[in-house]
Amino acid sequence: MGGEHLRKYVWAVLISAVLTHVAIIYAVPNVLMNVAISRLSDMGLNRWQVAPRVTEQSRTIVRPSPDFAYSACTYDLSRGPLVISAAPWREYWSLSLYADNSDNFFVIDDREAHYGAEITLVQRGRAHPEGAPMVVESPSARGIALIRRLAPTPEEYSAAAQVAREDVCASAASLAATGR
Amino acid sequence: MGRIFAWAAAILIGVVLGAASAWGALEIGRTNFAEQYGAWHFNHAAGSTAAGPYSRAVIARDGLLALSAREALYFTIFTDDQGRPLSESCVYEMTGRDLDARWWSVTLYADDSFLAMNNDHAHSVDASRISYSADGYWRTRISPVKGDAINWVSSRAARRGFSLTLRVYNPQRDFRPSADSLPQLTTLSCAGGA
Repeated sequence: MGGEHLRKYVWAVLISAVLTHVAIIYAVPNVLMNVAISRLSDMGLNRWQVAPRVTEQSRTIVRPSPDFAYSACTYDLSRGPLVISAAPWREYWSLSLYADNSDNFFVIDDREAHYGAEITLVQRGRAHPEGAPMVVESPSARGIALIRRLAPTPEEYSAAAQVAREDVCASAASLAATGR
Repeated sequence: MGRIFAWAAAILIGVVLGAASAWGALEIGRTNFAEQYGAWHFNHAAGSTAAGPYSRAVIARDGLLALSAREALYFTIFTDDQGRPLSESCVYEMTGRDLDARWWSVTLYADDSFLAMNNDHAHSVDASRISYSADGYWRTRISPVKGDAINWVSSRAARRGFSLTLRVYNPQRDFRPSADSLPQLTTLSCAGGA
């Protein structure tokens, strides 16, 4: 094998190594978010799911806190905006939104929303619904909304899970059709 | 034919090298792309829309759905005061004062980033439940059994290579993490010289 050929193969190794490295680094957040969206959407998209109390058996998302009651809504804005609301809780609570690349692009907590929060979530670049009081733009069509309610004991978790039943994650059009 | 095989082999070697280097970057990135305060590692870019690709990948792997620093700060310890991986065969004590924040907790995660597979119901201590000593400090034992500890985080079944994550929610505006202000971890003993 001549030296010139050898150099070509070395370049091929280097270029494919760099491309693979960069592709993996950029793909990891999206791939892991897609896995999370897939796991969390077993019960369907655009609806809240109250997670069971976090224990050693909780294996859906890495590093869960056993001190929180979590509710998750995997959203898909491709068919229009969603209305997302979080009922207030007596301890710390927050509503946070994650794009499909894992960015936490929005968060509101009980310091800012004493009586609960309600937002209209719209895909960036799409029209905002008329009259919607608080519109948040998602950088991606799919993502995850998460509510954390501080509830370190079983009793507090039960109470938080009860409160979580009042949360809303639903298509704005369907809510409008039902006159809500 | 031989030339095609050589090209394919070169590309395959490159792909393997690229995958290995990406895995290595994520593995070392949990500490090397982070700020360090004493033993605690802190990645200010967690959850941030401004995070670089490496930070975003590391956080996605080790702390998917983390809140941005505006809402919560996450600090993690991976090694003891001698630089050794944290191990179930050792007994540790963590000491700290109340943090200048609304709420905080310390949680133990096994090397797979999930709670250790024990049923001790002692995966964490938090600001709402911890007992303080008369000197104003709280102390928690991190060990496989509670013994006479007042505050306890169970490391039973956490094996070797577990980590401790400090969550600081709604830090006050003047909250400044430092090696002195964050809790300190001390190794009390290790079975069999581990």
